[in-house]
Amino acid sequence: MSALTLYQIVALILLCAGLFGLTQRRSLVGMLICVELMLNGAGLSMVAAAQLTDFSATLGQLGTLFVMGLAAAEATLVLAIVVVVARRFGSAQTSDITTLKE
Amino acid sequence: MEVMAKVAFCVYTAVIIGGSVFAVASSSLVRALVGLITTLVGVAGMYMLLASPFMAFMQLLIYVGAVSVLIFFAVMLTRAESGGDEASGAPMKTYVFGLAATMAPAAILGWLILTRPVASIAVPAEVSIKQLGEGLLGSYFLPFELISVILMVAMAGAVLLTWEKRGKK
Repeated sequence: MSALTLYQIVALILLCAGLFGLTQRRSLVGMLICVELMLNGAGLSMVAAAQLTDFSATLGQLGTLFVMGLAAAEATLVLAIVVVVARRFGSAQTSDITTLKE
Repeated sequence: MEVMAKVAFCVYTAVIIGGSVFAVASSSLVRALVGLITTLVGVAGMYMLLASPFMAFMQLLIYVGAVSVLIFFAVMLTRAESGGDEASGAPMKTYVFGLAATMAPAAILGWLILTRPVASIAVPAEVSIKQLGEGLLGSYFLPFELISVILMVAMAGAVLLTWEKRGKK
């Protein structure tokens, strides 16, 4: 098994852990934590693929840097949204935010 | 050196898997956050193994330094004490459906990874920070500028969302 395959398997484990947690968590903050797990899997996969093949290593690392920047922006916005939801509904659980359903 | 790299890879993999299990399964959100931080440090170690120390540094700086603190603020602002949000487990139906939704992409991607292996170089080449900077200000100038705009908009949007007029209440 080549080194690249091993790194990709670790990235896949991160993706699966995040995806499974996203379906299980019942608070918005817990879901945010799981999304960060998935984004890390993506970054690891990109850097491994760029460093361990003939592909341009610079492009891979810069792409992962952009993913990190987007993750920071996403975390900021999600924090603001969670605060607004917590103020409006009194909790940040997904089961309480079902106004449209009623 | 070869053996050391393998040992380090195994250690980092154990750290990543242990941290992510903790982050997904812990009933307290603060403990889940600690699990997430453990995973992030493990991924930083993986970047070191891949001969990209700058990425490891950025991982520690951006994720462990900034994003974790943001999530911690979110935990603290939403009354996430133990016995709060995640105390009782999800119903069985959610568990089964979640497992199915996870296994489908995992099976497809795992099958692709294992049956179509790409030949990898043994020792990855190190990219200097100078090359990265030249890339940012050369070929990839537009995404570099766009990401600053996105960060600016996200920051302004966050402030605007949580804005409260003085004397409203």
